[in-house]
Amino acid sequence: MKYSLVLLALFSAASLSAAPQPMVVTAAEPVPTIVQAEALAPVTQEVAVPANSTINVSCPNCPQAEVVRAPEAAPQVAPVAPEPQEDVLEQNSNILISVVGQGVAPMNTSSPAQAYALAKRAAVADAYRLVAEKIKGVRVDGQDLIKNMMVKRSTVRTSVQAMVRNANIVETTFKEGLCEVEMEIKISHSQFQ
Amino acid sequence: MRSRDGNKNFSFSISVGLLLLLPSLVLSASEYLISYRYLVKDATLYNETLSISKAMQKCQGNAYNPLILETRDDKNLKKIISAQNEKFIDYMHKLGLNVEHKESTINFQYTSITILTLKTTCFKVDFNDNFVKISPLK
Repeated sequence: MKYSLVLLALFSAASLSAAPQPMVVTAAEPVPTIVQAEALAPVTQEVAVPANSTINVSCPNCPQAEVVRAPEAAPQVAPVAPEPQEDVLEQNSNILISVVGQGVAPMNTSSPAQAYALAKRAAVADAYRLVAEKIKGVRVDGQDLIKNMMVKRSTVRTSVQAMVRNANIVETTFKEGLCEVEMEIKISHSQFQ
Repeated sequence: MRSRDGNKNFSFSISVGLLLLLPSLVLSASEYLISYRYLVKDATLYNETLSISKAMQKCQGNAYNPLILETRDDKNLKKIISAQNEKFIDYMHKLGLNVEHKESTINFQYTSITILTLKTTCFKVDFNDNFVKISPLK
């Protein structure tokens, strides 16, 4: 009886070890390429491998493994996004320019209301500057001083000079000491004639 | 004793002088020179200045784009404007300001200065009982 139980246990262990176990290998960049290898027992293994990689299957006890490779996918061409066209001021047309200026209140304000008023004024000035930069452009000067192959001093100076009129404040927000002013200005062709 | 003709000439010259002088006084009284300037350094406001003074000479130009400020029979423009400061400054922004902006980045340290200026402009001011009409001359 004991021998029969031991034999039964050995037989079940042997049958379990012979049972096919699916194995999945995941590569860094999974590409759906299916590799089928023939073993003693018909075993199907699904292996995800990166494209353009070589697969070596070694199986000393089985006949020559057959490697089926998926046809190489055509090189994917990323869709080229159309470049955003800059608005051009044409005759009989208007352009609406919108900017958001930011400003902060000074440290030594006597009341929150004063802080708000001063921060708003600074934000309006910033918005005017942004409008001027968009419409008229910025002058940029740069200078680097290099001595003994080392940058001693790097300077970038920008300046804007313009006259802005008829700009409208659309929205004003004041949050945590920072004031933001949204400003719009409508530009028409006739203003530049 | 003066003759009647002499008195007539004297009174005539006085009246002519007054006639010439009064209109000019009245006209110059209702014209003001106003300028406005403020500076923003590193996003913080400094040196906001609003200058108002009566014109000593007659200004040339036509009035446009008027602003009406409410008053209570007050003839002092400085008081009227300071009472409605925000409204008047918004109006000046609409008229147009010169923007002068400079920023510099030296060794990756950034500083900026923006100066907004309304250059000295002559305004025609009409005082009425309950309101004041302010309009720039161009």
